[in-house]
Amino acid sequence: MTTMQYYGTGRRKTAVARVFLRPGSGKMLINRIPYEEYFKTNTQRGLVRQPLLLTSNQDKFDLYVTVAGGGLMGQAVAVRHGVARALVEANSELRLKLKQAKYLTRDPRRKERKKYGQPGARRRYQFSKR
Amino acid sequence: MPRRREVPKRPAAPDPVYNSQLVTRFINSMMFQGKKTVSERIFYSAMDVIADKVKEDPLKVFKKAVDNARPQVEVKSRRVGGSNYQVPVDVRPERQQSLAIRWLISYSRERGEKTMKERLANELIDAFNQRGSTIKKKEDTHRMAEANKAFAHFRW
Repeated sequence: MTTMQYYGTGRRKTAVARVFLRPGSGKMLINRIPYEEYFKTNTQRGLVRQPLLLTSNQDKFDLYVTVAGGGLMGQAVAVRHGVARALVEANSELRLKLKQAKYLTRDPRRKERKKYGQPGARRRYQFSKR
Repeated sequence: MPRRREVPKRPAAPDPVYNSQLVTRFINSMMFQGKKTVSERIFYSAMDVIADKVKEDPLKVFKKAVDNARPQVEVKSRRVGGSNYQVPVDVRPERQQSLAIRWLISYSRERGEKTMKERLANELIDAFNQRGSTIKKKEDTHRMAEANKAFAHFRW
């Protein structure tokens, strides 16, 4: 491959996104589908574009993204994370700005495991004195 | 209440469509069981209904509706010498907003329309035009405060 390309991995919960930035005009393909089609709600569509808008790079790159695992919302945030990282690789001056917006922070929150003797992670079975 | 220091307010992330923190707070307050997507869908489709019915910017209608629902004063119970008094107090702006949002949502839910999106849209339109249960609730609250003005000196 001869074209210039920047790469970033993004994660959120169990979703993993691979993001490739190539010089272009702002098109974004996610798993070979345009992102407007892949993400069903405006919230999600907005999320993936945040880092580009923040650094006013909306129309400077084409994005090719593959994302797997997790739900749509987790995938959207994973893509955002990946886009932010790829942007830093493309231009390290953007780092501070993206960092302050927390787009470079891997959100470490995970689903908490269910424990034995309890119906959920925190919820206990109802206590009955006798 | 925290012992060590004041807990800082965490600002709500502005919503993606209108870029408004008020909208985010409204959507979050309307949410059940962490289902934000459902709540968002109801809110935005209600905004579409408003745009359809009122020939105005729906965001403006929404903001005006919330402002119209804000109570300026309310009454708080206070115990003085064995009996309870309803003491009128000013409402902080923060609390005004929370109450306005809460009332708009709960009176929307009590309406007769078939879907939440219609109920919400019509309640917002009513509040925008100074009508409806939400506005009535606000006026009741004001009336209570007015009626108990005599106890205002019990403010603490």
